[in-house]
Amino acid sequence: MSNPEIVEQEIIKEKIVIQARDLTLYHPRGVAFAGINLAIPAGAVVGLVGRNGAGKSSLLQCLVGLREPDRGSASLFGCPSLQLSDAVRERLGYVAQSADVFEWMTAYDHLCEIGKAYARWDEHRCMQLALRMNLPMTTPVGKLSGGDQQKLSFVLALAHDPDLLILDEPVSNLDPISRREFMLAMFGDLRSEQAAERERTVLISSHLLSDLERVVSHLAFLRDGHLQAFDSWDAMLEFYRQVPDTDEIDASAIISRHPKNQTCIIDTRLQPELAVHGKALMLDELFLELNA
Amino acid sequence: MCIIVVIHLYTMLYDIQTSSPVPIYRQIVEQVQRLIASGQLAPGADLPSVRAVALHFAINPMTVSKAYSMLETAGSIVRKRGVGMAVAMQQNLSSAEDKLALLRPSLLNAAQIATQLGIPAEDAQALFLACLHETQGETHE
Repeated sequence: MSNPEIVEQEIIKEKIVIQARDLTLYHPRGVAFAGINLAIPAGAVVGLVGRNGAGKSSLLQCLVGLREPDRGSASLFGCPSLQLSDAVRERLGYVAQSADVFEWMTAYDHLCEIGKAYARWDEHRCMQLALRMNLPMTTPVGKLSGGDQQKLSFVLALAHDPDLLILDEPVSNLDPISRREFMLAMFGDLRSEQAAERERTVLISSHLLSDLERVVSHLAFLRDGHLQAFDSWDAMLEFYRQVPDTDEIDASAIISRHPKNQTCIIDTRLQPELAVHGKALMLDELFLELNA
Repeated sequence: MCIIVVIHLYTMLYDIQTSSPVPIYRQIVEQVQRLIASGQLAPGADLPSVRAVALHFAINPMTVSKAYSMLETAGSIVRKRGVGMAVAMQQNLSSAEDKLALLRPSLLNAAQIATQLGIPAEDAQALFLACLHETQGETHE
């Protein structure tokens, strides 16, 4: 686990929207994830990355209260995830990995019907987003491609203007143009000068690292159910360095050690003198190193 | 039936590499500083809005805000209420070359006049020195 001091400072300074304490979930073959501690501040856009089977989906399900952990706790806006109040549900938009939609209804039907349950539903905004993403509105959803069903899930999650978006691989089946519209939509309506400057918090799990790189403020690396690193993306770019594995390295500065290549990823804030020897990494390189 | 077509030509001032070891906010800060130093962004000129940059590159608007805040703290740009960010009128010119470059136009002008009047170079130089001393003498009183 890295940078506990920095995370502590953020807890004190900022409002924490997503909190997990010692969150642990077992599954028949062992552990889905264990001892997860997270404190995500308001306004953060957090990318959750890790290999398939690292525990990302189950973690997100526990955070939104769809699964009960075996140990520890999670809360959203200070409200326990397993007992989310209506007020918190109104502020939350969640996209599951497999689209949560009604196959016999059209996209248009979904937008009309589901909207009735929410106070802040904006049908006009939904329609505009659906159009920009080329979502067919009048075909029964069961007949749509996986990608189009994903688009519908996303539009539905955004329609009530949530303050918190939790997204489980929301764009894996989408083409680059749709993905671009999706990323822009995450930040509210950038095209409208009148749109309110409200703070939205986003937690998104994705394999599309090049997409994440442009939009995240923070990154969480999950490996075999453990949080390897959680920090601001700018801090990782400025301070995480790949260095040759030598005795000079202070153990506390090590984020990960490559099992074969004799290199380490270190946090140069904890050992500044090594910064000059280190190589800065882009997100895909960092991912490879941390999952080696 | 009358069809009105508006063609809007728009080029983005910045060039951002999203897959790069250089953080996006730092790329923006450095580009704005270079554009100001080179004169492409003149004092008083408006910067593209946070929204416009975020929309163009599909990046987080907070990243652009962060870059603009840093430039504002450094005094390179200022916030114009209701409009957005603009290049500050007074830039801190630290290098000697920058300062000489600003003096050049006035001296060129004086050189033209001296040539038209047929004043020899040494006399013109001596006169300039005398003027300098006069000005500096005034400021020291």
